[in-house]
Amino acid sequence: MRVCVLYSGGKDSNLALLKAWEKLEVGCLVTLIPESEDSYLFHYPNVSLVELQSEALGIPLIADSSPDDEEGSLKALYRVLRKAMEVYGIEGVVTGAIRSTYQASRFQKVCWDLGLWCFNPLWLRDEISLLREVVRRGFEVVFTRVAGYPLRKSLLGVRLDESTVGMLESLKHYLNPSGEGGEYETLVLDMPLFKKRLRILESEVVGVDYDATLIIRRAELIGK
Amino acid sequence: MILVVSTCRFPLSEEEFVRPILELVERAGHRYRVRRYYEEVEFEEYPKVIVCGTALRDLDYLNYVESFRRLVEYDGDVLGICAGYQILAIVYGNSLSEVEKIGVRRVKVIKRNPLTIEGEFYAYFLHVYALKEVNERLEALALQDDEIAMFKVVGKDFYGVSFHPEVLNREIVERFLLL
Repeated sequence: MRVCVLYSGGKDSNLALLKAWEKLEVGCLVTLIPESEDSYLFHYPNVSLVELQSEALGIPLIADSSPDDEEGSLKALYRVLRKAMEVYGIEGVVTGAIRSTYQASRFQKVCWDLGLWCFNPLWLRDEISLLREVVRRGFEVVFTRVAGYPLRKSLLGVRLDESTVGMLESLKHYLNPSGEGGEYETLVLDMPLFKKRLRILESEVVGVDYDATLIIRRAELIGK
Repeated sequence: MILVVSTCRFPLSEEEFVRPILELVERAGHRYRVRRYYEEVEFEEYPKVIVCGTALRDLDYLNYVESFRRLVEYDGDVLGICAGYQILAIVYGNSLSEVEKIGVRRVKVIKRNPLTIEGEFYAYFLHVYALKEVNERLEALALQDDEIAMFKVVGKDFYGVSFHPEVLNREIVERFLLL
């Protein structure tokens, strides 16, 4: 079966991609770019970085814009998946949903309406074991946004490793350690399927403590 | 040793519908064995059987209901989740209706039972077939609108739930393991 992967460029969609790659044929990546960080359904990716990741993977990308509200987000999702069906003949969709029944049920409904299979390989995963798997499987991941106490802006640009996983585990009573609720966001610079890795050339931290973003102005692909 | 039956046509779906059940079984201190819906299984070798759900578009297990008919002779306990609920319903002579239900809904318990609280609770549904009525071989335990959300096989500790307890109602699986 040929599938597309809903792809934001962060750790969850990349791990979902890796699991899909191991068992199915991945036809393309699908990215929806919300108007702002307030989107109900989608993470707020930097589209130029997702294009680089798509190039690093050698997997084509379909990217489109999406309004932030629920109705507009869903319409955009129908539109972009129809395009993936037409252009790449996909029969299923893979998502990185972990625990959000709000997000998962909407993805399931859209897929059902379009005649597509829906796969959620990270569904109900223990968040800490998921983070450890990301580290163990050789992902190079950096934090690109923090959105709430107790995550400080000094975390931006820091690698996800055993130490930061331990830090997130120690904060699990304050936040969802996987960041699925938008507590933080990540960017994958390298993972096992990347033929090249991303290198950040120019970046800037904007915002205040507990609410800050790493804006990546320029990045390039380099050999592994 | 608990027998966990996968109804998933694609192994990737097992990450979503089987792994969470295995984790609950393991956390409760049990060992398990996984078998697929198309494999010959000796149910009698296990004290309890859990038949898991699968993807919304996955209906291949309905072509293999015959191999589950031997459950009628089985003396252990069975929990059928979604696809497993449908298999149990068919094995006991009931007909499924087309009911598309995706998302969180409120369930009303209509008969006291060892797996749920009394009253109402929220559950996560993901199916396109369910029972709207049951014959004399099943008793309805809980409803969601006009759907039988939970039933018990009369005279057996066989339970069917049309929703996914591993998502919002893990205690149902835990209580089943304690039966």
